[in-house]
This record gives sequence, structure tokens and C-alpha cells, in this order.
Amino acid sequence: MPTLELKIERLERLVGKELNIKDLEYDLQWISLDLEDVNEEEQTIKVEYNPNRPDFSSPEGIARALKGYYELETGVPEYEMNSSGITLNVSSEVKKVRPYIVAGVVREVFLDEDEVATLMNIQEHLHWAVGRDRKKVAIGVHDLDKIEQPFLYTAVKPDSVSFIPLHGDGYPMNLEEILLLHDKGIEYAHILEGKEVYPIIFDKKDQVLSFPPVINGVITTVTEKTENLFLDLTGTDFDAINLALNILSTTLADMGAKIETVNVNYEERDDIITPNLEPRKWELSIDYINDYIGLNLTPDEMIKCFEKVRMNAKKSKKKGMLDIWVPAFRGDIMHPVDFTEECAIGYNYLNLPKTIREGGIGEYHPVQEFSNTIRKIMIGAGYLEVLNFILTNKTRHYDFMNQEKVESELVQIKNPVSKEYNTTRTTILHKLMETIAYNRSEEKPIRIFEVGDIIQLDASEETGAKRRIHLAAATYHENADFTEIRSTIDFIMTALGYKKDFEIVPNDNPTYLNGRYGDIMINDTKIGEIGEIHPEILNRFKLEFPVSALEINLETFL
Amino acid sequence: MTIKLEKQTIEIFKALKKKKSNEINAAEFADELGIDYIVLMSAINELKKYDLADFKEKEIFQVSLNEEGRSYLKERLPERQLLEVLLEKNQKEISLEDFQKLSDFSEKLFYIGLSYMKRNRWIAQSKATGENKIFLIEENFPETELEKFMEIFEKKNILNYSNLSKDQKKFVDLLNKRQLIKKEKKTQRIIFLTNEGKNTKVSQIEELHRISKLSSDMITSGSWREYELKPFDVTKQGPLLKGGKIHPVISMINEIQEIFLSMGFTEIRGPIIESAFFNFDALFQPQDHPARELHDTFYLDKPKEAKLPNKKNVQAVKATHENGGNSGSMGWGYDWDEDIAKQTLLRTHTTATTIRRLAEFHKNNDKMPVKVFSIDRVFRNEKVDKSHLAEFTQIEGIVIDENVNLCDLIGLITEFYKKMGFEKIITRPGFFPYTEPSMEVSVYFDKLGEWLEMGGSGIFRPEVTYPWGIKNPTRVLAWGLGLERLAMLKFEREDIRDLYINPIKWLREESY
Repeated sequence: MPTLELKIERLERLVGKELNIKDLEYDLQWISLDLEDVNEEEQTIKVEYNPNRPDFSSPEGIARALKGYYELETGVPEYEMNSSGITLNVSSEVKKVRPYIVAGVVREVFLDEDEVATLMNIQEHLHWAVGRDRKKVAIGVHDLDKIEQPFLYTAVKPDSVSFIPLHGDGYPMNLEEILLLHDKGIEYAHILEGKEVYPIIFDKKDQVLSFPPVINGVITTVTEKTENLFLDLTGTDFDAINLALNILSTTLADMGAKIETVNVNYEERDDIITPNLEPRKWELSIDYINDYIGLNLTPDEMIKCFEKVRMNAKKSKKKGMLDIWVPAFRGDIMHPVDFTEECAIGYNYLNLPKTIREGGIGEYHPVQEFSNTIRKIMIGAGYLEVLNFILTNKTRHYDFMNQEKVESELVQIKNPVSKEYNTTRTTILHKLMETIAYNRSEEKPIRIFEVGDIIQLDASEETGAKRRIHLAAATYHENADFTEIRSTIDFIMTALGYKKDFEIVPNDNPTYLNGRYGDIMINDTKIGEIGEIHPEILNRFKLEFPVSALEINLETFL
Repeated sequence: MTIKLEKQTIEIFKALKKKKSNEINAAEFADELGIDYIVLMSAINELKKYDLADFKEKEIFQVSLNEEGRSYLKERLPERQLLEVLLEKNQKEISLEDFQKLSDFSEKLFYIGLSYMKRNRWIAQSKATGENKIFLIEENFPETELEKFMEIFEKKNILNYSNLSKDQKKFVDLLNKRQLIKKEKKTQRIIFLTNEGKNTKVSQIEELHRISKLSSDMITSGSWREYELKPFDVTKQGPLLKGGKIHPVISMINEIQEIFLSMGFTEIRGPIIESAFFNFDALFQPQDHPARELHDTFYLDKPKEAKLPNKKNVQAVKATHENGGNSGSMGWGYDWDEDIAKQTLLRTHTTATTIRRLAEFHKNNDKMPVKVFSIDRVFRNEKVDKSHLAEFTQIEGIVIDENVNLCDLIGLITEFYKKMGFEKIITRPGFFPYTEPSMEVSVYFDKLGEWLEMGGSGIFRPEVTYPWGIKNPTRVLAWGLGLERLAMLKFEREDIRDLYINPIKWLREESY
């Protein structure tokens, strides 16, 4: 989850209230922020915010919520906006590559060092969380005074336009060259892969503002002398670019700058004026919200809850309904149910009563119940339970155990982070061998067992594989032999009531020693294997005593 | 004071008195008497009580030939073997290259042999003829002192280094340099008679009819009355009993299962190999969401593709993603792709199984409340280290009921954690993509004096339940947590891998 460092002093300035670090530590959790770290010496707090709240990516955004929590300022925050008189024309060419753009103007920007850092942080977060690493949303911030309106957002052939990109070598490059040679070009080329034309923003004099979503032109570089900003947001999701613009511009306004609108004239769509900070209106049933939370709030009490979370609310004309307005920087409200949480936060989770609902009869899953029966039997037989992963390694699973691996019959993991795991186990025995090897210097005898899942490919299953429950047991010491493991299977089968129904049929199996191996059979069906492990395998696991072992598929007994 | 001893102890005392030396190696002495070492030492302890005998411990160095060294006992040292090659072929001079070919030795062994042949002054090497040549410079090649010394090992496998003469030590050191020697440090017990013991006559000792073990004969015949039973040192720890035990993690899982059962929950189990459909799509996770990316999830090349459930449900899920469907939501506003939903993977949470249970709700005509739980394995494609696992266990509880609400959920969670042994619980706002409202749960851990985050909870979003026909006011409460963190705290393990790597010492010693 994304994190943010808050300076108490700056937060105090924004909230307009003296804040105590200890109280904050406690208070922040009730507006759904998670405390990562508190530094009392430096008077900073590091918080984690949820990815559905990109408006919390700045201290300004958090201050808005805190003001509501402390009831210093409630309802939807209001922002004054004038028209900048600036026009951005949008050519229909962009439909082929990156169809949407919105823009805004911010004047009288005098940012201190912290605020500049915040501006960078918001952009980074918006690019990632809302913009899916610039695919859905890319942000451009420009020095307005270096360029001349009207601006044009269009799409051009990759080699038809050259300009000097930001962070380049100072030479003009065409769009194709930027994707090949420029650091940012290399990073984001995948977004434009296979497109015939690339998006570009020109000013009146054909100067390049930006080649979204890749890089700005050097001409609009923002410096400490910059006073007026032009913001462009391009992307593939119209709602997402608007949300990002709204978060960015309201934060800049909270820093003391003035927001102005831009006329965005689409060739084949209705013209729009952005940013559009008009709150979105919803209508909700009071009973619905009360019932969902388990409260019985009056309309006025509920209105107060919404105002505390910086929404507006009033009784609707319809009986039993509330009109609720959501600020334009909130992108996480998509269903009436989202208001239940807002109301609960406004009411404060701390104050919610605990209620108890009775009912229901508890039952074990049959597999679980049977596994526990097997565990009891094995413990009675003197075996120690071990637990291993279902994930495993092909070499140790098959090659080490003298078994041929047929790749086409194995679960294949596409992208394992660790080479240690490249498939899932089809038997447990090799895991017991690993366990013994890991414990080779412990006091003998070592007698262990595991009851657990294995995975088998099965085309008839919905997901192409089936999980089954197996039992494996192994004994390791100077005198471990077939007789001991034979006694063990006799003990298990007797306890399960199969004393007379199973037989061991001699067979060959490369994992085991010739003449000391048998298939475990019930009604002429093989359900398992039993024998003395082949010394070749003991050598591979660097063991110095014999191992005798068994493995059974327990599905038969369920 | 009369001295009373058991018969065997008296025998051992007699044997000790017969010994000329008063420094007797205990192990050798036991062999000589044909009795168990432990029996001998306990007899010595008896004698010690009467101040007749005692023992001391002595550290010794034992040396023996290692495997390679022993092989030279038979085949003789490499230098001798090489010499034989030359003598056999009657070669008095030979080029280095031909010699090596002729010998059929490994390069390393050949050069070792060659250097000792030079050192023994058997050969000389010269490039005078332009070729690198070897000349035999002797006629006779009697056994070297080293070879003579090595014969010792034919009679005795192990030598006591400190008993060796100065010369012998020199040879052992030489063999050691040639890496043909195995050295071992051992503690030996040396037993000896005290002055009192030397002066005491056997006839002064009375025989004690004492036994350590009751035989079946003694019990049935009643002859046990004639003997005294040797007391045990009851304060001493017994040898380790290597018994069977449940794995600590399983015992914990069983306890949690019992808690769920006592609260009226039934256990469910679902596939480990899952479709992206049930793992992500059915949970309203958009298909371009970062959490679905490769580095978090084990996607599979085989099985390649999962079948999707019936068309009606698939269409409903598709619609909620695209425009909210009938759930009342705005949806995510993108084109949902069926092929992405068919991807196979190792499930990243047991919630995939929970959704399968929701899918059955109407099929089964279930009576409400439906209360189910699972404690089962899940997978994350992560690097494994001290605090991360790629495979771990998730605990999840679900209630489907009419008009259940957030306060019911808080009540439920509070009861659950109380039964788990946590008295203080905080539930606060949180975020999970498939629940609304959502809650984080923290519990106060007395042992650490700290609040710990213990998992999440919430009411399933309508976008998640509506495709399966579960509609308001029927709602689904859910909460979940990881097992391993609790296990580490309970069993005080520092390394999370210990839980699945089975250190047997820990398994044998851990208490439940």
C-alpha cells in the first residue's frame, strides 16, 4: 500500500488546529489511515493509505478529511474557479491511439520545497494507482508562460515531428527516436506498441508541449521561477483522467494557488470545460444505510455523518431518502453501498455496537475429519507429524527419487520467482526424504508422517486438476527395514477396519529396493506403495542409514 | 565398615587387581571382560562409593589411514606404483609425456608420485636432450622408511598419537601432509584402583544380592524376596522418547476448527488450482488491476485453461465489470475478456472457494443463515525468506443471512477473537476491493504488550454477490486472517520457514 510522510507542523497549518502527535496516532485510524511509523523527535508521522483513496496522496488531501473528523469544516470543500480563456482543440485523429484529454490552468503558484515534493508524489501516485503506470492516465505539467494558446491535441506519424524532449541530450528527436533512445521512451514504448500514429500536444506556434504518455518538451520545463501552470491529462479512460485532474488541481488550490478552467473542444464530441469540480449527486434510502450498518440514525444524524466525511447531504423530496453530493476528487464511490462505509466512518467505527446473531450448526469437512483420524492412528504407531509445502521442485520430486518425469503430466508454473518451486507435488514421499535429510544429525530413530494434499492433472475437472489427500510415512535408523514398515501398514489397515481387505503385491519400483517393495492393493486397485528406499536415493539425500516408507492415496477410504 | 558389593562388581574388582598397570583404558577393559561399557562404569561408580577405585578422563588423538591411505596399503604408494611401471617395461629413461601415458594415472596423482620418486632419489629429471626426460638413477629400490612405517596399520587400524615415538610421529605427520590420515579427538576414561583399593582384599568384601531388573522368574517363583532392588536415580532425566506427536501448526488449526464449529460454522474445501474467474473476476477485481500481475500470482502453463461456470453467471460477472449489471453499480467501464478469466493459477486466497460456495447458494436452496469457514493453503509468487512464504494458510469465515449488518460482523469477529484468547479487539475502517464496508481488525497481544493487525473483514460488495443471485437484504459477512503469523507468536519462532521445514528437535520439544 502507498505511504506518505506527514510533517505535524504542516498538517497543523492545513487543518488550522494544534495537533498532538499522540492524539493523531489514535485519530488517523478512524478516517481509514494506517500508521506506519511515528517519529516524535522530527515530529513526523508516516501513514499508509488505501489505493482506492488517491486523494490521500497529499497532506492537503488528508487535512481535508481531518478537518471533517474534528468538525472544524464539514461538507464538500468548495473551490473558486474562473475561466482562463484558454482553448485546447482535440483532433479526431487521437481516437486511433489515446482518445481522451482534459486540461486545467493553475495561477500564482508559489510552492515551497515540501509542496514541490508533494506535487511530484501525487503525480507518481496518480500515474500508478489511477493511471496504471501511465497507460490509463498520463499527466503533463507545463510552464504556461512559455507557450501560446490555443493548444492542439492530435496524433501524427512517428517520424513526422521532432522536438527537444525533457531529460534528453538537448537535441531534437523525432517520436520514433524518442521511443528507441530516450530513457522514458524506452520505459513507456510498450503503451504505444503497434500504433500507426502517436499522440502529441502543440501550441499555436507548433511548439511541442508534450508527447504523451512519454515525455514533455523541454520548452515548458517548470522551474522555481514558474508562476503559472498548464496541466494536461491524457488517457484511455475519461473518468480516470478527470479524477486525476481534480485531485491535482484541488491539492494545488489547497496550497494557495488559483485554479482556472480550460475549454476543451473535441472534433467529434461535445465541448467540455475542465476541471469540472461539480459534486456528483446520489439519492439514497435512509433505511438502506441504517440497515446495512445496523444503526437507527435519524435523517439529521445521518446528514451530520456524511458532512463529517466531506460530503453534502440533505433530505430529499422523496420520503425516507437523502440527497448526497460527493466531491469531485473522490473516485471510489461507484455503488450506493459505498455510502454505508462513509456513514459508518462519519459515525465513527469506535461507536458501533456489537451485536450477536445465533444460529447454524458446525460440521467438519469429511476430508478434514478423516485426516484427523489418520493422524491419531499414526501417532499411536509412534510417528511424528511433519508438514511440507505442496509447491515443490521437479528435480528432487522425480530425478532424485529415480522416477521418470513426464513434463506433459506435470503442473507447470509459468513464472516462479524462486527456482526452488516449479511444480506442485503429485506424491509426498520426496518431501519426507528432504525432511529426513534436513534432520540427518538428530537422534534416531526418526519416524515421520505427513497427511496432506497432492495435485493431479485431470482434464475432466473444471480447473484441469484435482487435489487429493495422501498419507506418507517413513522411518530412518540403523535397523529400518521392510518388516518395520510392513508392521506399520498392518497397524493402519487394522485401525481403519481393512485388515482383511488389503494385500501387498510384490512388484518393481525404481524408488525402492528390488525384492523389498510391494503395491498396496484394495479390491485389485492399487492405492499405495510400500518398501525399502533404494540406496542410490539414500546417497543422493546424503543419508547414512536405510529408510523404509509407504505412501497411500486416502481417497479410497472417504 | 563392611563393604557390600554385587557379584559382578566383585568380579570386576578382582580383574582390576590382577592388572599390572594401574591406568586401565575403560573401553578396552570392558571388551576384555566381555561386558557392556555401561555395566563396567556403573560397577566402577559402586567401587568409588567405597573409595576402592576411580576414573579420570583423558583426551587423546587417534590417527588412522583414511580411505585413500588404506587403498595404498594394498596397492602401495603412488611413487612405488610408478616405479613398478618403469621397471616392468624396463624403461631406464622415458619422456615425461610418455611416462604419464604409460602410467594411466590421473594428472594430480601422477605428479604427486613423481615428486616422491625424486625425493626418494630414485629418479632424476632433465631437459638436456631438449626433451623433458626422466632417468632412473638407482639399481635397487629397497623399501623406504615411510613404507615400513605404514605396515603398522596392517595390524592395527587406529593408533594413539601420543603413544607414538618421535620418529613414528614424524611419519604420521608426513602422511597427514599427504592427506592420507584421519585424525580424531576422543575422550577416554582411564580407570584405576585407589590406595584403599590396592590394600583391600577380595575376601573382605561381602557379596550383595542386589539386582537391577525383576525377571519373570523371580516374580512368579517369589524368589524376588531374596534380592535387594537396586535404586534408580529418579532425579535424572530419562533418554529421549522418540514418540509420535501432532505438528504444532496442525494442532493450532484443530483448535481454530473447534472454535468455528462451536460458533455454528461448517467447513468447506475448494480447488487449489483455480481459474482467474473465481480467484479475481468474481471478486470484482478489474482485469488490469496490479494485484493480478505476474509477480504476485503463480499462473500456470499447464493446465492451460479452466472451464467457466454456466453462461448466465459468466454473463452476470461480465456485466458487473463493464457497467455494474443488475447490482446497482457503475462498474469499471471496460471490455471484460473471457480469455483472461480462463487463466489457471494457484489460488491466492481461499475467498475463491468462498465464491464457489456463494454459487451453490441458490442451487442448494440453502436455509439461512449459511455459516461456513475454511482453513486452507494459498499461494503467492514471492521470494521466500525469514518473514515471507510462497505458500501459507489462510483462515476465513463467512455468513450469508438476511439483514446481517456491520454491527453483526463486529460482534462475530469479537466473539471469534475472544475464543482465540484475545480479550481486546479493535475494528476500524479498512479497504478491500471486494468488501464494503471494510474493516481492519487489530488485537491486543498480552505477551508483547502490543496491538497487532490480525486481518481484514467486511460485507461482500453487491457486485460480488449479485451475479450469484444473492441480493440485498441478503448479505454476506466475511473475515479472514493468516495463520502463520499467529503460529510464530504462539510458538515463539523467529523464522517463518521453520513452520514448514520440520526441525525435528523443535517438533519433539514444542508444547501445544
